[in-house]
Amino acid sequence: MPDTALTNEPNSIVCDGNEAAAWAVSLAKPDMVAVYPITPQSSLVEYVSQFIADGKIDADLMDVEGEHSVMSVLHGACLAGARTYTATCGPGLYYMFEPYVRTPGMRLPIVMSVVTRDGLTPQSVWGGQQDAMMLRETGWIQIYCESVQEVLDSLIMAFRIAEHRDVMLPVNICHDGNYLSYGVTKVILPEQEMVDDFLGEKDTNWHVALDPDRPMSVDPLTGGEGPGGPSTFVRYRKSHCAGMQNALRVITETHDEWERMFGRSYAPLVEEYRLDDADYAIITIGSMSGAGKDAVDVAREQGEKVGLIRIKTFRPFPMAALTSALAKVKAIGVVDRSVSFAWNCGPVYQEIQAVLYQLEERLPAISFIGGLAGADITGEHFARVIESTGKQLAGEMTEGPVWLNENE
Amino acid sequence: MGIGHNTIAFHQDKCDGCGDCMTVCAEAKSGTTDTQHSRLKIVPSVAANDSFELAMCRQCGDPKCVLNCPSGSLTKDHETGVVPWDQEKCVDCLLCTVGCAYGGITYNAAAGHVMKCDMCDGDPACVKSCPTGALEYNKSAEIYNNYGELEDLFVPGLAACQGCNSELLIRHTMRKIGSNVVVATPPGCIAGMGTVGFNGKTGSKIPVFHPLLTNTASMLAGAKRYYNRIGRDVTMVALAGDGGTVDAGFQSLSGAAERGEQMLYICVDNEGYMNTGMQRSGSTSFGSWTSTTPVGETLRGKTQDAKNMPVIMMMHNCEYVATASLAFMDDYYEKLDKATAAAERGLAYLHVYSPCPTGWRIPPESTNEVCRKAVETNFATLWEFTPDEGLRFTRPVDNPLPVEQYLNLSGKYRHLDDEQLTHIQNSVKRKVAFLNGFMLATSGSEAQMQ
Amino acid sequence: MEQTKYLIAGSSHAALSALNSIRLLDQEGSLTLVTKDDRLPYSPTVLPYVVSGQSKPEKVQLRDEAFFTKNNVNFISGSGLEALDADHNTVTLQNGQEWQYEKLLLATGASPTIPPVTGLADTSYHVLRTMDDAVNLNAALAGAETAVVLGGGLIGMHAAENLIKAGVQVTIVEMCPQVLPGYFDPQAAKIIEQTFVENGVIMRIGDTVVGAAQDGEGSKVSLDSGDEISADLLLVCTGVAPAISYLEGGPVETDQGILVDDRMATNIDNIWAAGDVAQALNFYSGEKSVGGILPAAVEQGRIAGMAMIDDPAINLYPGGVPLNTYEFFGNQAISVGISDENALPEGVEVSLNVNEEEMFYQKIIIGEGRLIGISGINTNFDPGIMWQLVLRRTDLAAVKDEFLRNPVDTGRDLMSRIWR
Ligand SMILES: Cc1cc2nc3c(=O)[nH]c(=O)nc-3n(C[C@H](O)[C@H](O)[C@H](O)COP(=O)(O)OP(=O)(O)OC[C@H]3O[C@@H](n4cnc5c(N)ncnc54)[C@H](O)[C@@H]3O)c2cc1C
Repeated sequence: MPDTALTNEPNSIVCDGNEAAAWAVSLAKPDMVAVYPITPQSSLVEYVSQFIADGKIDADLMDVEGEHSVMSVLHGACLAGARTYTATCGPGLYYMFEPYVRTPGMRLPIVMSVVTRDGLTPQSVWGGQQDAMMLRETGWIQIYCESVQEVLDSLIMAFRIAEHRDVMLPVNICHDGNYLSYGVTKVILPEQEMVDDFLGEKDTNWHVALDPDRPMSVDPLTGGEGPGGPSTFVRYRKSHCAGMQNALRVITETHDEWERMFGRSYAPLVEEYRLDDADYAIITIGSMSGAGKDAVDVAREQGEKVGLIRIKTFRPFPMAALTSALAKVKAIGVVDRSVSFAWNCGPVYQEIQAVLYQLEERLPAISFIGGLAGADITGEHFARVIESTGKQLAGEMTEGPVWLNENE
Repeated sequence: MGIGHNTIAFHQDKCDGCGDCMTVCAEAKSGTTDTQHSRLKIVPSVAANDSFELAMCRQCGDPKCVLNCPSGSLTKDHETGVVPWDQEKCVDCLLCTVGCAYGGITYNAAAGHVMKCDMCDGDPACVKSCPTGALEYNKSAEIYNNYGELEDLFVPGLAACQGCNSELLIRHTMRKIGSNVVVATPPGCIAGMGTVGFNGKTGSKIPVFHPLLTNTASMLAGAKRYYNRIGRDVTMVALAGDGGTVDAGFQSLSGAAERGEQMLYICVDNEGYMNTGMQRSGSTSFGSWTSTTPVGETLRGKTQDAKNMPVIMMMHNCEYVATASLAFMDDYYEKLDKATAAAERGLAYLHVYSPCPTGWRIPPESTNEVCRKAVETNFATLWEFTPDEGLRFTRPVDNPLPVEQYLNLSGKYRHLDDEQLTHIQNSVKRKVAFLNGFMLATSGSEAQMQ
Repeated sequence: MEQTKYLIAGSSHAALSALNSIRLLDQEGSLTLVTKDDRLPYSPTVLPYVVSGQSKPEKVQLRDEAFFTKNNVNFISGSGLEALDADHNTVTLQNGQEWQYEKLLLATGASPTIPPVTGLADTSYHVLRTMDDAVNLNAALAGAETAVVLGGGLIGMHAAENLIKAGVQVTIVEMCPQVLPGYFDPQAAKIIEQTFVENGVIMRIGDTVVGAAQDGEGSKVSLDSGDEISADLLLVCTGVAPAISYLEGGPVETDQGILVDDRMATNIDNIWAAGDVAQALNFYSGEKSVGGILPAAVEQGRIAGMAMIDDPAINLYPGGVPLNTYEFFGNQAISVGISDENALPEGVEVSLNVNEEEMFYQKIIIGEGRLIGISGINTNFDPGIMWQLVLRRTDLAAVKDEFLRNPVDTGRDLMSRIWR
């Protein structure tokens, strides 16, 4: 199928994460892709546009005048019955925010890549998860990828998860700017027929539609003080939360099915790496996890009983999976690629605190912040992380946050 | 349902008392120019010099002359709307004249019987003879006849204010366009009056939604593209206020216009955020009182002219751009037809001047009069534009009234001083001059306005 | 028993006007019109012209069958109300049918009153109220050369003129000192009487018939003055009284006519009355009185109909105002409101403009700056406008001079402005 960058293996290509995402889009067959370029997402929408131009993707390309309209045209299309996709990040995401926030409330199964970017000010055009972390309470499903192959696979799975009738929520597949967007590796492309089977018929507007054959009023006033107002609003909110909880199951089932059909397996919610006999663990999210695992391997060789926990699904928050993972260790270090200003730590660290509360014993924990604005988190950085984390077992505490790139 | 009928309207402010209508009527009906035989009478008003009033049959819907007639010689023709008089049956009892409070059926001593207007079979001689336009043959009833049977696509009892122009507009508009639509009513009066409604209780019988104030055109564009993709022909209609159009919604509209998205975008311009407490918008006219351009010691209302949105849309080279006023329904209906057709090719934009009784401080019953005066003073001009044919005035006003005659009708202009009035009059002239120039350049027509 | 939502008794002006109001708002509700006459609706006002032959019964129908079909009206003619059972909302018709109604309008009009003149009962005479009367009288004209008309009111005068135009020698006997009392003052009445005399009518004004007797085919009447007049035809036009015999013994309150309020409602729920049969408010006196003019029947019928369907646009009956348009021998006499200031308290302003030569007469009565009455001969003002000015008590102070000089144009000007 691919006609560029062929490898020796059938159905495999060499490409970066942005192109891999474009291939995923071509395989998922959305009806509409709306685009507006922004670094480091731009090449993704260029690939998609070119694929559409070349007839590789049979979708309406809406190259609109800004991200606000990007999400808005997808609203219209989705309410009319379309399967839809877009990608953005950073400032574009902030500009999209008004319709973005509205999407899950209308339970529209829109899929969007967030090619994570730091910023907005101090100005930066490089990677960092500050943008994605800002989306935590918008009600979207959020999945973070570690590898280019995972970007491709997760993006296809996202459509199935979003359109699942127990879920009906939009999904963000986050892949890190620079490291995944531009990182080139070999990628295996699934067979189109199998993807078609895997995704099935699109199913986007059975519950809410703009269709003369099914006239209804979409998003009327709800709530207020009148009779039934508060309870109706509460019902909508509760069902949204229930959809989120259902998603934990659906995401898992979807990954199982993916493995069955395509042979590649990922931990759907939380990945445990060399954790079973570990005394302590580091916690990662996104592309840094690869370097983290390497560092764990090195430390293991040196006799450290360290493991790694990677959060793949961050929204809904995988409380049960994390609780059982953390129950296996005695100390943790959490590496964030963004900042929670109010808590003076990383946002993942902040949320892990809530998991710790579920445990019988208190675990000592350190917040590490690294990789901001495109900075690398190297094996050396992880070695420091592992060291500081491990020292907690001997009662040597480090006060966080530890800014990994502070002196570079 | 009954049917509506064309009428002869009298614009008292335009009558100069020349009496040509009476001469022509006498001639048409009796073959002489003796105005004793005229079936309409222009009388000088005692109230003011050079002011005139009219006595003429109003062709009442429920005419008392007919009920008073003992011989069956007067009837109401429900087809034509005329109350014809049959001399054959008349017994000259004059009881009809007792029933008429308009002086519309009168005794003609020279002829020895009563006489009354019969509308000249739908081509009234008096109207054609009137040099000032004081008499007008108003055919807007045809709209009622042609479209009155169509279903009103909104429920009764929308919560609009009394005298709301927007409610009138949306009912007419959707009745005409029909139900194979997707309708967007962004935040504003139209949504606020209950078209989208409350959870479980909608005010519309058609697919309707509440876009954001900012993304009406984009949402419609997305829906339309998908319907095109699956081969379904569905019309997209935006019923948006000026805030959602010229301010916050401008970008998405401009983008959609540039891309030629297929939709009918109707801006109902009531010059401000009337649904939320009458704040200023980019479409608020110079000098207007609003709750954010208040009048006090140092502030005297808005200090900038309104954004000229229809012209801006024209500059996007949309498939169709037109301005409209509900005081001229026939004009609006024609434009609505053209706009709906154009919306299948690209973006059609209708800008409807829409006085707001509540926010403008006008009595609810005079909304239509304010609409009319806006046009007669050239404060609002009625025109249409297509890329091929350029700009054309659909209802040119040859002798515009001074703009004060429009401004005086609204409380929001009550505080204006002379300087402000001059500013407004000048900007009215400038706008007309621009349109004239643009018309010449685009249509080659010489039919300029004054 | 038959049932109907609306039952209207009568088929003349008051009845048809009410029907019109009802059907404006309710096209569906069952509506039944029952009338005594076995004819399509016609107006008594037109009868003199049928008598003279100027018009024909079939030419003056006010409504035809098609109208009733189109308006979903069940029209029963030739059988009037015989009795009313208000407790059960039912009526019995002369043909024996029983009808139950939800709402009933009594618009049965009036019928001629016959004066207690000795011998009259045994003398053949004519009256003029129904089409049959008119047809009979018209037929009787054929062999007649002379006629006596008792009564110089509207009906008598109309009839007399039409008789003389048909070539019959006519005498009018009127016991009042003038003809047309109540509509014209003595001076105007004089001009009218004069015209009748000039056209060959013998006028016996201020004289009373005291006896009548059959005289061969014709009849002979004796007058208070001692004179005796023989004539081929005797026509009694001495007045009318509401036709309410079917109410006898029932609960509907009557005086001279059926007493109604300003919505034309009687004292009994679901029963209204309008037209000549009703005794309604008088605009000037504030008392209730019987009227007997066509425009009042139309107006009352309209209000009654609106009340029957709860039309929110209803205006309450402002009270009856004397109104008269009277064509005689090519002249027009019109009167709106009060025409004789002697009937009024002091202090009104009277403007009189007379030219007997030209047969021109115009009187305007103004009190407290408002129009109280306007009447005249060959003046050509618009009575409909004047009626409105009276009812609205329009302040004429600012335009009084113009109004007195030119009531026609000033009235039109005022009204045009009021409507706008
Ligand atoms: C010769 C003549 C000339 C007139 N000229 C004038 C004039 O110039 N100007 C003017 O203003 N007025 C004039 N009038 C008076 C005018 O005609 C009446 O005021 C008017 O007709 C009253 O209308 P009405 O509907 O109340 O009753 P009517 O017209 O009297 O109609 C009564 C109706 O009730 C029906 N009816 C009677 N009894 C019953 C019953 N028991 N059950 C059912 N139906 C019944 C009758 O058949 C008739 O249809 C004239 C009257 C006459 C007779």
